[in-house]
Amino acid sequence: MHLSGASKSWGLSKVLLNNMVNIGSNMLLRVLLLCSVVSGVAADNDNTELQASNKPIKIGCLFPLAGPGGLYGRDSVEAIRIAEEDLKRLYPSISQTFEVIIGDTRSKPLRAVQIARDFIESKKVDFLCGVVSSRIALAVTEIAKEKKVFFIGTDHASPRLVTEALHPYYFRVSNDTRQSMQAGAQYIRNNYAKYVGTNNAKNNNKNDKRDDRLKIAYIGPDYDYGYQSWSDLRAFLTQKAVKFDVVGEYWPKLFETNYNIYIHALSDNKPDIVINGQWGQDFINFIKQAKQLQFFDETTVMNFDAGGNYETFADLGDEMPLGLVLSARHHINWPLSAENRSFSERFKKRVGRYPSYAAQGAYSGIVSIAQAVSNAGGVTDKEKLRVSFENLSIKLPEDPDGFTSRMDPKSHQILQAQSIGKTIINKNYPPASVMLGDWFVYYPAKEWPATINP
Amino acid sequence: MLTAIAIAVDGLGFAAWLFLSSVGLTLIYGVMRILNIAHGGFYALGAYSSAWAIGLYLQTGSTVAFTYLLIPLSAIAVGIIAGLLIERGVLRFMYGRDEVLMVLVTYAIFLILEDVTKIIWGTESLVAYQPAYYLGNIDIAGIPYTVYKFALIGLAIACAAVLWWGLNRTRTGKLLLVVIEDREISSALGINVTLFFTVTFIIGATLGALGGAVTAPQISVVPGIGAEIIVMAFAVIVIGGMGSIGGAIIGALFVGFARAISVHLYPAAELFSIYLVMAAVLAVKPYGLFALSERRKI
Repeated sequence: MHLSGASKSWGLSKVLLNNMVNIGSNMLLRVLLLCSVVSGVAADNDNTELQASNKPIKIGCLFPLAGPGGLYGRDSVEAIRIAEEDLKRLYPSISQTFEVIIGDTRSKPLRAVQIARDFIESKKVDFLCGVVSSRIALAVTEIAKEKKVFFIGTDHASPRLVTEALHPYYFRVSNDTRQSMQAGAQYIRNNYAKYVGTNNAKNNNKNDKRDDRLKIAYIGPDYDYGYQSWSDLRAFLTQKAVKFDVVGEYWPKLFETNYNIYIHALSDNKPDIVINGQWGQDFINFIKQAKQLQFFDETTVMNFDAGGNYETFADLGDEMPLGLVLSARHHINWPLSAENRSFSERFKKRVGRYPSYAAQGAYSGIVSIAQAVSNAGGVTDKEKLRVSFENLSIKLPEDPDGFTSRMDPKSHQILQAQSIGKTIINKNYPPASVMLGDWFVYYPAKEWPATINP
Repeated sequence: MLTAIAIAVDGLGFAAWLFLSSVGLTLIYGVMRILNIAHGGFYALGAYSSAWAIGLYLQTGSTVAFTYLLIPLSAIAVGIIAGLLIERGVLRFMYGRDEVLMVLVTYAIFLILEDVTKIIWGTESLVAYQPAYYLGNIDIAGIPYTVYKFALIGLAIACAAVLWWGLNRTRTGKLLLVVIEDREISSALGINVTLFFTVTFIIGATLGALGGAVTAPQISVVPGIGAEIIVMAFAVIVIGGMGSIGGAIIGALFVGFARAISVHLYPAAELFSIYLVMAAVLAVKPYGLFALSERRKI
């Protein structure tokens, strides 16, 4: 690994990394992971380039290492180290080294764009990878499109990346919010069967009595993510013939600190279920304040995209209420496959705690790139590489036994199983005292739902 | 009916918080003619010091009741130290300068205070819900409210009453009113104007810190809360008339109820409603409801 050009050990670099993050250094942090995969294993003819060239394959990853989202970025860097170890085992035919450079975006779009340009123009990277925030991803993907460099999205989840902003060089290797909402709508349909009508009735039949319709209220952040999630969920509920009324929708700003007024308004609405579209500290703050007002005694709260992130459980400990219906893009305790347990435990061994959801996304990004390169026989022929990504089928830690993640060639969105659970007492993953259980698993359709037809 | 009650309680609660958070700002402007952007920094310092002190104290396993004393004590300590340092160390060299320059100076101080909070308490959120939990909830028309919320409403009323009494019924307060009316004449009459400036700034800073300190048990204290409050506080004092304590009360009620009505009846317009009220008031009364364009009032 290289840190600002000087070769260091990982242990030392971790200290330096933490120090740099702590003091808020302006310096671009570069972490070079060198995979010295000098293998004697014979490859097929397609791998001629891989065998012949010693030029490293460069991946430029963009993550926030400090400030909002810094935890996700730092976890992603650790997960990349785990991926590095696995590349040697999984792709021995790749004789070239992988060099992963990491830039600290600090969750700022302009800074991310500057780093991406530098990666492409100065560092000559073959791939851009990562990005936690959709807002930043939308900026970076434009650079990738302009420069014709592959951008492999790992954590951000806006459907815009694979619809209006889609281009031949963008692929995403984690589920997006639309897939989360699709799974959520199915969960509601299955668990509130008495509100399900026929496909012809849909949910707009105003002749239904009010008691025959599910009363839903929504609270989500006042920006694109919140609005998109809510719009998608309503569309999927309609598609699945769930009869529902929206009895309230609330839009606290991102990073709001006081939710009392919204909780009072939600109580006033008397909904059957409250859909929460928040994530991170916002969701934690909401839970703490809602619990104080005994809000969870009177209604069921559901959060299908990011509410079930492990870091939420770790932060809340035994304050986490039971009976919440939540999901996340990666769970530590689901699936209980050897791969997922190994990934989580290896991360814990390195860092001293379990990973946030973002870690598995970063891991997936690196191994997906390696597999696509392996299948394409190198990085020179971009068309071949694009086809390789489009046909990507790869076993990832979050895949349950018998299921393999696969890329949707039309949308460039990976298709993965989405599991939704209820919060139950589980002290096996400290400092969390409550984890998800009683799982509902939603397997993806053949294609990503580009349009949601009622 | 249920929604009307919810609007009334939430509106009053929000107005109380706004008044506590903005009264120091209007006091400083009224006396010193300084539009003190650093007020947001005092609020943040108060919130952080209060949450930190509560957490530290409760780690000893002691009773929660004492935290109600810790909250104002931490605000007073922070207000006196920060207020004195800033007024004596920076602002006194700027008196008599253009108001715009003072805005820039206090903005710079605000940015410094933002970093100071990060250096002292880090970037992770601090939570100190225990004082709010401890008082329990009260159920009004089926909706639970924290008793702490009503305690804050009471505190805001008490704070307004004490300020009114202090200004109108004490010798020092009356002298302060003279300073507000005309600094030069006051000085010629032998009033120590410099001392009044220093004391007023410390009181204003302490009120800002108190606003943050009493809010801390209701929120998660995170970096950036100072910037959040300064925008709202300006809306309040602009509506009420800059420099007017009575105006701050009315401005807080206007903004508080505008937000409560919007959240309960039309949530999408929540932020818009606050600034709509401000624009509407300024369209009719360009200097705010209780300010005269040619005279300063407090």
